[in-house]
Amino acid sequence: MKQRVVIGFLGTVLDEGRTAKRWERWRPTIALAQQEDWVVDRLELLYDPKHQRLLDRIERDLASISPETELVPRALPLADPWDFEQVYAALHGFVRGYSFDTEREEYLVHITTGTHVAQICLFLLTEARYFPARLLQSSPPQRGSKGVGGELRTIDLDLSRYDLLAQRFAEERAADLSLLKSGIATLNPAFNRLIDAIERVATRSRAPMLLLGPTGAGKSFLARQVYQLKRQRHQLNGPFVEVNCATLHGEGSMAALFGHTKGAYTGAVGERAGLLRQADGGLLFLDEIGDLGVDEQAMLLKAIEEKRFYPLGSDHEVESDFQLIAGTCRDLQRDVAEGRFREDLYARINLWTFPLPGLAERREDIAPNVSFELERQGRELGRMVRFNKQALVRYLAYAESGEAQWRGNFRELSASVTRLATLAEGGRITEVDVLEEIERLRTQWHAPVPSVGGVDLADLLGEEGLAGLDRFDRMQLAAVVAECRRHANLSAAGRALFDVSRIRRKSSNDADRLRKYLTKFGLDWERVKTDR
Amino acid sequence: MTEPQAMITLDGSQGEGGGQVLRSALSLALITGRPFTIEQIRARRSRPGLLRQHLTAVQAAAHFCDAELEGATPGSQRLRFVPGAVRGGEARFAIGSAGSTVLVAQTLIPALMAAGVEARVELSGGTHNTQAPTADYLTQVYLPLLRRMGADVELALHRHGFYPAGGGELTLHIRPATALKPLVLETRGEVRERRARVLLAALPLIVGERELETLLDRLRWPVDAGQIEPLPNDQGPGNTLQATLVAEGLTEQFCTFGERGVPAERVAHQLAGIVNKHLAHGAPVGVQLADQLMLPLALAGGRYVTGPLSGHSLTNLETIGAFLPGRLQQEALEQRCVRIVSEIQTPTQLNSRTSMFT
Repeated sequence: MKQRVVIGFLGTVLDEGRTAKRWERWRPTIALAQQEDWVVDRLELLYDPKHQRLLDRIERDLASISPETELVPRALPLADPWDFEQVYAALHGFVRGYSFDTEREEYLVHITTGTHVAQICLFLLTEARYFPARLLQSSPPQRGSKGVGGELRTIDLDLSRYDLLAQRFAEERAADLSLLKSGIATLNPAFNRLIDAIERVATRSRAPMLLLGPTGAGKSFLARQVYQLKRQRHQLNGPFVEVNCATLHGEGSMAALFGHTKGAYTGAVGERAGLLRQADGGLLFLDEIGDLGVDEQAMLLKAIEEKRFYPLGSDHEVESDFQLIAGTCRDLQRDVAEGRFREDLYARINLWTFPLPGLAERREDIAPNVSFELERQGRELGRMVRFNKQALVRYLAYAESGEAQWRGNFRELSASVTRLATLAEGGRITEVDVLEEIERLRTQWHAPVPSVGGVDLADLLGEEGLAGLDRFDRMQLAAVVAECRRHANLSAAGRALFDVSRIRRKSSNDADRLRKYLTKFGLDWERVKTDR
Repeated sequence: MTEPQAMITLDGSQGEGGGQVLRSALSLALITGRPFTIEQIRARRSRPGLLRQHLTAVQAAAHFCDAELEGATPGSQRLRFVPGAVRGGEARFAIGSAGSTVLVAQTLIPALMAAGVEARVELSGGTHNTQAPTADYLTQVYLPLLRRMGADVELALHRHGFYPAGGGELTLHIRPATALKPLVLETRGEVRERRARVLLAALPLIVGERELETLLDRLRWPVDAGQIEPLPNDQGPGNTLQATLVAEGLTEQFCTFGERGVPAERVAHQLAGIVNKHLAHGAPVGVQLADQLMLPLALAGGRYVTGPLSGHSLTNLETIGAFLPGRLQQEALEQRCVRIVSEIQTPTQLNSRTSMFT
């Protein structure tokens, strides 16, 4: 049987008593040792040296009524026992210096004596498991009850030990998971495990998260659900701010993120708070973080670490405390290795990394997502749309087959359902509608891309890379590459490609913009020029 | 070598108080050398299982016979006790939460006095507890009767201990007896002396005065029969009121305890009621003593007459019957009185290294 060790304060009021009358009073520390069916093997009594005389008396009284109990007085000088910081620091010091032997001893932290502040600190330190203990609360004998020992109650702060509470938490957790999945009853075990992990991190940690996955896998969507969850738990009270870093470029990108003062740069007419400051107290979702410029990366790192940064053109730092979620479809590790992404920033955001599988790897989740999308469409269109039974069977058979590529993942599925819902007559999606949609998807995935300017994208991206691109992107990229190859350098190509915005914006960031565009496809100038 | 003996199983939830079943069983295990298991210890109580004061009795008994123990922890509802041979020696036991030292002493006395060993036991804790005989009762009533049976037992009270402060000290000294003789207590005889006594520690003298006045008045005893004995403050708080009857046949003593919130007069009235009830039936042995003499009687033989048996006594008879079947008989007498008889010619087989019977 384990030795029972109680740790508590000497009660300067409740344990006091000089005359024999003290025995008629309930004294909590004494009462610990007056239980007829419960023995304290060791009592670690925290006391201020100025109460030495009281301690001596308690020691004598304990010896008399509880010969089984070893008293270990622990001097803990406290100038002001009502000062939270002081008491916490003193107790923290005590607990750090104490060697617990949980194999052989069970610990109870007695919270009935000591100031309320001491009680709070003991609670916090126990809750944080500094004290590997249960709380012990004693109360005076009830009117008419026998003896002077009163009642003892132990409180285990491990809430999972209480059946009723555990059930509640399970229900709450189920609700959290459901929220993260937007109520979609997903079946894919890998995805469900992932959501499970995200829920645990989201409810317990404020550290940045990194969501990996192909475009359309639902990164932005998930970030928004994490925000909702944290908001529900009162962990956030600010807004959800979403930025796609691929859309930021040049000086404007700094200003957009970090804000600027009036006249900070040409065209900075007024003052601007910037997205980071807007996200104060809330959640900032930086999608395509791999596309962030090097300067912005440095600023962002400072902002994450210090929760403060300089707006463009300002001498004064501003503060913003936000939860960061970053998203990317790129291999950031490779970007770090090749010097495109700061290693320190990567280390900072790479603490909780969650790879989101594409739709093709979660075929069992297509059906629940289709019904979810349909319902959403119904709400947006203001009328409910349903599949005819056979139509649904046909549609799912195709959608779940290996033939369906779902390159654009959930975004693509959503678009497909949107088309079906919009075209459906009388709120019913028929087999005919489905067959037409299947035809559209087939065309989208299998239609050959017309050669633009004699550029073979397969050479540059490989067949696999090419398969992940929309027809739209393929055609645009081929045209851009063709244009690049007609120019001597990046700047010249940039000038030619961004000819109109160049004039309107009166700035010269075309080369940067072009570089970013190419980087999005894993390309750079050298590769575009040489791989002819 | 002693042959392995059959385990006796007792039900600790039976009758009155599993604590008493336990103490009797411990004494009997030492005396007979028979192992026992007691189950469901105090199962129907609000705090079931072994209490600290019971455990001290278990440890003390185990000490004097090197017993094997199982379940000797606070709150345990099952205890297994396998005794070895009884030995003497010196020992000290402290009883927590001001538990009764007298109950521990009473567990050891019958076992050790019959074992032919010398033992000196120091006990600390409560010496004057409610629900237990007091140390004064032991020295003035119980031990003189045991000495009449040939036992050599002395008890010295060094310091009073009351609940809840405890801190009482007493020493029990047992020397080998030559042989135990039967005890016969059939008539009270003339009451030669009546004494009333108040023990008072850390309480105002007026409390004792009111108790004494009321008691003497109710019993119509002369004023000089009363005595107040103030104790040092550090032995209190504590208050007990005792009435002693010294008769030709034996000395009997009864007591009640002062309690916070209970008027002194009521403490006195309670005691007067007990004394009058005892005197009314004419039997020499009081309710408490009847209970305590059963074991010595079972060992040495004899008989006594007492009033109606208490629940405690009936339970005790059963416990003794489990270890020493048929040893004690009861005969009903007039006025619901009872005679307890133990017919044995030769002394009990003793569980002792020095005993010629083992």
